[in-house]
Amino acid sequence: MVALAGAVAPVLAQDTATITVRKGDRVSLALASLGGVSGPAVTKVLQNDLDLAGWFQLVPAAQASYTVGGTAGGGSLQGKVTDGAGSVVLSKTYTGDDRSMAHEFADDVVETLTGNKGIATTKIAFVGTGSGAKEIYLADYDGDNSRRLTSDRSISVAPSLGPGARNLAYTGYQGGYPDVYVIDVATGARNRVINAPGTNSGAAVSPDGGRMALTMSKDGNPEIYVTGLRGGGAKRLTRTSGVESSPTWSPDGGELIYSSDDGGSPQLYRISAGGGSPRQIPTGQGYCTDPSWSPDGKKVAFTVRSGGGFSVAVMDVAGGAARIVASGQNPVWGRGGRHLIFSSGSSLNLLDVPTGRTTTIVSGLGKVSEPTWSF
Amino acid sequence: MRLLPYVQLFAAAALALATVSCKTNPKDEFAGVDGDFVSGVPLPSRQDGAAFMGGNVAKGQFPPVQFGYDSFEVSPSELSKVQAVAEAMKGSRSDMIIAGFTDERGTEEYNRGLGERRALAVREVLISQGVSGGRVQTVSFGEEMPIDSGGGEAAWAANRRAEFGVIR
Repeated sequence: MVALAGAVAPVLAQDTATITVRKGDRVSLALASLGGVSGPAVTKVLQNDLDLAGWFQLVPAAQASYTVGGTAGGGSLQGKVTDGAGSVVLSKTYTGDDRSMAHEFADDVVETLTGNKGIATTKIAFVGTGSGAKEIYLADYDGDNSRRLTSDRSISVAPSLGPGARNLAYTGYQGGYPDVYVIDVATGARNRVINAPGTNSGAAVSPDGGRMALTMSKDGNPEIYVTGLRGGGAKRLTRTSGVESSPTWSPDGGELIYSSDDGGSPQLYRISAGGGSPRQIPTGQGYCTDPSWSPDGKKVAFTVRSGGGFSVAVMDVAGGAARIVASGQNPVWGRGGRHLIFSSGSSLNLLDVPTGRTTTIVSGLGKVSEPTWSF
Repeated sequence: MRLLPYVQLFAAAALALATVSCKTNPKDEFAGVDGDFVSGVPLPSRQDGAAFMGGNVAKGQFPPVQFGYDSFEVSPSELSKVQAVAEAMKGSRSDMIIAGFTDERGTEEYNRGLGERRALAVREVLISQGVSGGRVQTVSFGEEMPIDSGGGEAAWAANRRAEFGVIR
């Protein structure tokens, strides 16, 4: 909303006061409407992408450090970014449908001007109850293009997207027990990869796409295991009498953070993905579940119980105080480590952590929960 | 630590029983892969076609075991329910599936783990009462399929449970 107001308001200075970060933290950017047959459609998507990216303050051209423009039509987009002196800092041609071309251009703008990875080309998956049962849905990062991936009419939950959203692991009950299935997203081919005795759930695909970490109870207690993506070679990492759940990978795939209630209430721990001794991460919170390790490796987001409700907290993995950033649960980091997506009943929300700005991206699909976000 | 002392005591005996009673589906590749199970008796292989929500499992023959909030302890007041099941199983050849459930509060995946831990806690009591661990499978439904979907303390208390399903 801030960016839209800035683009049309004659006096910019009044709008900057509504932004909670200092103006200097963001790059001022002008978006010139793109020419060509597809110009209006691409411009609309691009505007939303650059707005949600968080790195930019969209302003009129006269106040902008950079101007984004180009032409689009016939399945191609010629994108261009110029600086205040008129020098071209990015010029690139994209092909595809309007939305995907705009998303690719937006991510290139982010990377060129900030050095960070953008989120516009990423995918999300989540659980929705809109069909009457819990099923897995896949969508663009902004909630558009959503489609139902499963039609099991059972209980399909705990999705985890692999790198590039090429595959998705989830927990399905259609066999009578919670088992782990992996879907090849492009072909729709699905395989049950883990059906050990007891409960198998919460598989998290590793950053390199080759392994999964999950909870299995086959040895008599819910513990964290690491397996291959096809379920083989299960290696047990934890040994407690409590409940271990929700492992999340470090960006280099070398470590995991998970939740364990072995100390009496669920707390966060980190452990080498190869095994070893777990170390508790002190959070100062009494109930900590659902951790998500940030792509830069520095932060962890998780769900805490506060009062009668549940909130999203963020803290440095190295230690420090947990900061409550939103009311809701199931936080997951996006590529670049700037945004979280979290659930709150019937909606999924995109949170720009530095500014605190929250945008609803999914609603109208019943109760939605357990988002996962591709890198 | 909430280690239940009898678990370790009975682990070896139960394992022996499990080996003896292993029958319909003797694939034991899952059990005790690492050779050390600190806090539980490995689960037997699933019996083909036997699922808790399936037609070949009789539910409701025994009252469910109820739990406190965020707890998997079988409280003294609930113990007699499990003891009655143990006695019935010792006089029967039917095997059992225990299904664990939680209330709707908290995160879904933790609740799946908590439901499984509740089912396993009940299984551990059965084992301590002399039932072979090889006869008892577990499954967690987490916060799915509540007894009472109304919300509020009474509903939540009813939903925190472990149910018994007798394999026909």
